[in-house]
Amino acid sequence: MKDVYFSPDKSYVVGFFREKQDANAKDRLQNITGIYRERIFNQEGGDYWKNLFCWPTKMVEWNGKIGIVCPTYPSHFFFSSGNFKGKEKEGKWFASAKLRNKFLPDSEKGTWLTHYHMCIQIARAVKRLHSAGLAHSDLSYKNVLVDPVLGKAAIIDIDGLVVPGKYPPDVVGTPDFIAPEVLETRSLPLTDPNKKLPSIATDRHALAVLIYMYLLYRHPLRGGKVHDLEPAKDEELTMGAKALFIEHPTDTSNRPKVDQLAPSELPQGDVNKLPYTITGPYLKTLFDKAFIDGLHNPSLRPTANEWEEALIKTTDLMQPCQNPSCPEHWFVFDNKMKPKCPFCGTEFHGVLPILNLYYSPKPGVFKPENYRLMVYDKQTLYMWHVNRFITPNEKTKEEDKKPVGDFHFYNGKWILINRRLNSLYDKDEDKKIEIGQFVELTEGRKILLSTEDGGRLIVVQLVTN
Amino acid sequence: MLASLRQDPYALETVWLSIITYDREVKQLMPLTQIGEFQLPNIVTPDSGPTHTGAALELLCSVVDKEVKLSSTEQKGDWMPLLFLMTDGKPSDIQLYNSMIPEVKKRHFASIVACAAGMHAQTDPLKQLTNQVFSLDTADSTTFKQFFKWVSDSIGIGNKSIGAVEDLVLPPPPEEVNIVI
Repeated sequence: MKDVYFSPDKSYVVGFFREKQDANAKDRLQNITGIYRERIFNQEGGDYWKNLFCWPTKMVEWNGKIGIVCPTYPSHFFFSSGNFKGKEKEGKWFASAKLRNKFLPDSEKGTWLTHYHMCIQIARAVKRLHSAGLAHSDLSYKNVLVDPVLGKAAIIDIDGLVVPGKYPPDVVGTPDFIAPEVLETRSLPLTDPNKKLPSIATDRHALAVLIYMYLLYRHPLRGGKVHDLEPAKDEELTMGAKALFIEHPTDTSNRPKVDQLAPSELPQGDVNKLPYTITGPYLKTLFDKAFIDGLHNPSLRPTANEWEEALIKTTDLMQPCQNPSCPEHWFVFDNKMKPKCPFCGTEFHGVLPILNLYYSPKPGVFKPENYRLMVYDKQTLYMWHVNRFITPNEKTKEEDKKPVGDFHFYNGKWILINRRLNSLYDKDEDKKIEIGQFVELTEGRKILLSTEDGGRLIVVQLVTN
Repeated sequence: MLASLRQDPYALETVWLSIITYDREVKQLMPLTQIGEFQLPNIVTPDSGPTHTGAALELLCSVVDKEVKLSSTEQKGDWMPLLFLMTDGKPSDIQLYNSMIPEVKKRHFASIVACAAGMHAQTDPLKQLTNQVFSLDTADSTTFKQFFKWVSDSIGIGNKSIGAVEDLVLPPPPEEVNIVI
């Protein structure tokens, strides 16, 4: 618990701990504001992280109280209008069907695509912590600020960082996000070797829950199953020892009971209408790993890096919904079924190109890599589509962040216009497409995006609906 | 308090509220209602007269039995309710009050907080009901504001981080509220 004060120019805040901090806690704060901070921020690309973390910069002592200095949150993390004007955009607002449907103004809801962008930032930030050997220990929608309008997120409350083996956690987490094994062993004394405390593995559980909630607006473990007639015991079992994924494919005993849900919790609460598979094939695999295989087996949980990659790849499957009043505006289309928006039911009519990406393990050989790009009008092509050695993340060079081409539905044809690619080839006609020229996307056409090492080949597929 | 709860996403999603007033008469002003839909009725306080705290507890028990949903094997029930009792006097129906105390305790409130406001409020009877008794010595609007801020923080506590050691810890009361005991 901290008392927080603004600086005169409002550029930073100082939070003083109410409780006395012991030597261990002081040492931890010293390290968080010192060496751990420097390791992340004082490296090449370190500035990138300033947007993703609200990281304490200094430890201060005043009147015997210990405090930490933190940068102020950027203004887009505060509601700018409406009933909640001036309040922080705590993630909870956006992760609950009821709050979205009843209280949140449409102008604050963003689109489904921006929710993916938000999740990418969260996964990336958690990945960075974990790769530095740190665990956040209390990831929750309270400690992650989000802005679905711009698709941004930032991790706050970093002063509780856990360093495995060095600083034990002060908290076990926040309800909804505590890993089952932690809840199950909560009553054991701290000295018991079987007691499970927050760690990188439990962060992974919390991250999976966050992503599930930000995309589907319901909790993955809160279903209809009653484990105990006593509510406290029931809660403990629901989230702990008896935790069961509400969408488990074979054990359906925890499916939400739609007739017991409030009207404001629908349609998002109905897993038959909006199953988790609408998040696309890459995320489905990870949700299975997180909530089926890894729920009670922490070592099987997906890493933050896996989430980041799967989320990025899924944004390449996004289609804009043609219904202007669709609540989500985007949906994932992976060609397993008709291109139909699951949120408003609007079907896409017309021809849609699907680009299957192939990589080249050695010259002249191309192999599929379970990676697709779904084309829509005025979509852009980037270097990370062109070259498999380039990934879009904090390390991406400025040069590689610029679009290299764009897709259009033009005069009844789908075309790709080359803007910046030096060696784009139409392999069907073995013709080079110069910058400023275009290539038509026709069924089966092979387009080589780059002759450089790592350059990908596209095979076009057209779906008509 | 309502205004601050209405800006709290956790409260908006989960909190239901009911108000029982008691003086000579005991009334349930509002049945258990979701925070988002709660319309605050006018509360009229008489200048003098008896304080039927015992009768209020009696009504409270019957309301809890009726309105708080219990778990069944088929459906999850409501969470254990919190009780905040405020008084500026002492129970006039002390016999009924004393006999209702075990009844209230049987209702399994997650927490009972009693608040004695103003100089005429007596804390001793309240201490029979709960060990969380607060007295607001200078019962002005700022003090009440702080108290209600604390009450709403307490309502929201279920969503805060849980300590590594077990026990539901309520946030500390604001400075002007002294814990008697």
